[in-house]
Amino acid sequence: MNFSRIFHNLNYVVSAVLFLMGLYTVAVKPNLIKKLMGLNIMETAVFLFIVSTGMVKGGYAPIVEKGVKASEMVNPIPQALILTGIVVAVSTTAVALALCIKIHERFGTLDASKIPGKEEI
Amino acid sequence: MKWKKFAVVASLSVLGLLLAYAIGEMPSFGSKNTPDKLHVIPRYLQKSEEEAGAKNIITGVILNYRGYDTEGEVTVIFSALCAVVALLGREKRRLSRSGVDAAGKPTSVIVNTVVRFLVPIILFFAVYVMLHGEDSPGGGFQGGAVVGASIIIFTLAFGLPKSTEKIPLGFRIPLESIAVFAFLSMGFLGMLFGVNFLTFILPGLSHELAHTVRFLMLSFIEVGIGVAGGIIFTSIVFSMIREDEYELQPDLSQS
Repeated sequence: MNFSRIFHNLNYVVSAVLFLMGLYTVAVKPNLIKKLMGLNIMETAVFLFIVSTGMVKGGYAPIVEKGVKASEMVNPIPQALILTGIVVAVSTTAVALALCIKIHERFGTLDASKIPGKEEI
Repeated sequence: MKWKKFAVVASLSVLGLLLAYAIGEMPSFGSKNTPDKLHVIPRYLQKSEEEAGAKNIITGVILNYRGYDTEGEVTVIFSALCAVVALLGREKRRLSRSGVDAAGKPTSVIVNTVVRFLVPIILFFAVYVMLHGEDSPGGGFQGGAVVGASIIIFTLAFGLPKSTEKIPLGFRIPLESIAVFAFLSMGFLGMLFGVNFLTFILPGLSHELAHTVRFLMLSFIEVGIGVAGGIIFTSIVFSMIREDEYELQPDLSQS
């Protein structure tokens, strides 16, 4: 394990920390809305990680312009992928929130540990 | 409960160590010749303008090189709207006539004035972002997100009845599917001319004309994605707002 490299890759470290925070929230918090927030934090961590891999030091935005060489641009593929990913994340969050609303209507609570089992529905 | 927390923290620290090890093995941040910048990337960077027809290479990738992905994405967001509407139903229209919540939430004069002043400017900016996605930062989804945000701000300040008055359901329903429609129609237009699905350079046209037509097709798709995205976000938020509980339980609204 190369410790000096960990400090050079600070973006990756931050995204790993965010990912673990999100996973902790999903696993421990009983409130469904907080679980969703954790899921979104995890998604943000993954987005940060993938966009960071495309970075080039001193690079330019990938827009064709006079005076900018193609070899000096950052990688456009992660940015395009993450654009797709953000939209999908928003869609899944919307569906999950709708399910939360339905759960609250039926059981009167959003606490996952207080929602009764199947036989009581 | 305590044991569960302990187990979670233990397994997360194991995962964190594994991640730290992986980060230590990765190429350093911002270096030029990492594996993800080889293969197709140089070609995208050098030839995107002539092949994909957009100065903004990301727009070129999204609409042209990976058009299928984007079409799937448009389908995903449309399916999300379908799922939300199937679960919750559309916003309750009869309530806008009942007068129960027409009185409005107690938002302050400052908020109302600022929102009324800002919403047109935000919408104008959204149109700019949508139309300039070809040659500057921006694009359909980004513009659509800004459209949705402006409408949601308006709804939060003035309440659901007033904003459903401005953007009625009959106006939104055709616009929600316009992104899928734009993608499919432009894709099949290529097939009518005898080339593959989602090919934007039509054969049989002169060089100049073909490029203009491609620009128009790409712009049509961009604007379609933007409008549909904004309207879909708006519809999702509208069906999630629950102002009808005031009517069903009048005691709660007074306390």
